[in-house]
Amino acid sequence: MTREEIIEKVNNLLSEEFEVDLGELTPDANIKETLALDSLSLVDLVALVQQNYKIKIPVADLPSIQTFNDLYNYIESHLPA
Amino acid sequence: MKYDVVIIGSGLGGLACGRILSEAGERVLVLESGTQAGGCLQSYKRKGFAFDTGFHYVGGLDEGQSLHAVFRLLGLLSLPWKRLDTEFDRVTIGERTFAFAQGFDAFTRRLTEDFPEESDALRRYARLLQQMSVQQWDALNPYNSEPFASSPLFDQNAYQYLTETFRNPLLIQVLSGTSLKTELRRESLPLFSFLHGNSSFVESSWRLAGDSSLLVQALTDGIRANGGEVVCRAHVTELVERGGKLAYAVCSNGERYEADLFISDIHPAQTCDLLKDELLLKKSYRNRMHRLANTFGMFTVSLLLKPGTVEYFNWNHYVYPKHADVWALPSEEGTVGGLLVSCRVPETGGRYARQIDLLTPMSWEQCERWIHTQVGKRGADYEAMKQQLADACITLAEEVVPGLRGQVEACYTSTPLTYRDYTLTPDGSAYGVRKDCNVPLATWLSPRTPVPNLFLTGQNLMLHGVHGVTMTALFTCAEILGKEKMWNMIQATI
Repeated sequence: MTREEIIEKVNNLLSEEFEVDLGELTPDANIKETLALDSLSLVDLVALVQQNYKIKIPVADLPSIQTFNDLYNYIESHLPA
Repeated sequence: MKYDVVIIGSGLGGLACGRILSEAGERVLVLESGTQAGGCLQSYKRKGFAFDTGFHYVGGLDEGQSLHAVFRLLGLLSLPWKRLDTEFDRVTIGERTFAFAQGFDAFTRRLTEDFPEESDALRRYARLLQQMSVQQWDALNPYNSEPFASSPLFDQNAYQYLTETFRNPLLIQVLSGTSLKTELRRESLPLFSFLHGNSSFVESSWRLAGDSSLLVQALTDGIRANGGEVVCRAHVTELVERGGKLAYAVCSNGERYEADLFISDIHPAQTCDLLKDELLLKKSYRNRMHRLANTFGMFTVSLLLKPGTVEYFNWNHYVYPKHADVWALPSEEGTVGGLLVSCRVPETGGRYARQIDLLTPMSWEQCERWIHTQVGKRGADYEAMKQQLADACITLAEEVVPGLRGQVEACYTSTPLTYRDYTLTPDGSAYGVRKDCNVPLATWLSPRTPVPNLFLTGQNLMLHGVHGVTMTALFTCAEILGKEKMWNMIQATI
């Protein structure tokens, strides 16, 4: 999967599940603020990534994922070969 | 009339929350859709005998042990509990029988007799079990800063732990052999679930002299004595929002119940379906709840025995065929790969048992042909399937109760479909949502929901079984009352 494909798929998924406009999902935007995540819905995000990409995000890695770009990077570098 | 708290579902979780919150002065209403309260604690009568459905034994009731203080708080400690024999669980695999003894030292000593080369590993394992009874309080203790889900035991795989700790594969089978009361699944079972499902029983193990309706009665009596209500045939069909939070529950008969707070003791996916309004719950939460997998169900054979034929045995017997793989149940359709054999305490205190239950895991797939049928109208092929499986269960049980078949006066069976139809549990699951050590965050559910005044409780959240559901009820109540108040209520009973 190319990076462009990852970005498109992730954005479509998050826009649908978290009910926000696609236009708000810009690479440098803050995920928590844009998707209005609290500690509960952060779990929804982690579960969604696990379900769709078979990628496990350990709690310890969560602080390193702040922007959408961070999330794309994380998924790209952890995708199963 | 407006209530402080409306609780949907009268399983142990719902009733325990009702008891605690009414004790704390809240005006509580418990709504049960069925004709009797109790959820998995329901029992049913045949030929004048009461048969249990989901309850068989409980652990940790002695002073200072896991459930002592909470059971006192819930008014359950004074029920007629009968302590099981020192060797409370026996595991028969093929021709060999092994025993679990009560008390962590005795437990280690007894198994070391059979596996002397594993004595160090057994000691370490028993210590871990023992720590569990202390650790379970960490999340409730307001003076403890460690978050509950931070325990490494959540993302550690139980089967992997066992294979890395013990060298003898038979010992791993034996240690897992009493865990039909958990879904043993190699790829996902968290070590925390495995240890929690075993630890309190090793502390001490008890049977009720009577059926599980005694628990239900004690809890509902307690709620009513505190001014609360438990109403059956009240099937909640909708939770209605006003001003960003829930305002009232609507029942199928049109009744409305207003409350400040709502607790759902039903499956989280079903809870989401009650909120028709899209505003309060985003798809991300609804979809996650709907995607959660459920654990397997149970096939139960409840036997009424001819008087004076089978001697009562004061322990649980887990029976497996030779070369069984305890971690590969439910076994193939039509076969029985493992069994819990549990006697009811004789009502008259006599020598002989009148009732024995045989339980074996059964997958939902094995029931799928009949999912559109109703109780009593499932057809001859369903009856034949149950008869064949009951026969296979009795055959395996005869390994430890010789001649059992000849002593049967009546035989009643239930499948996951029965569970689904009486408890409304999705997939007729016995132990609720499957916890997965690979995704602990997503499968250990918080009592909190995105709706500010809607809370969850019950076996689907964190822990299952009487012990697990009771602890979970404390977590739910701690979210509502505050940790400190919940903690003080428990401390006050000690």
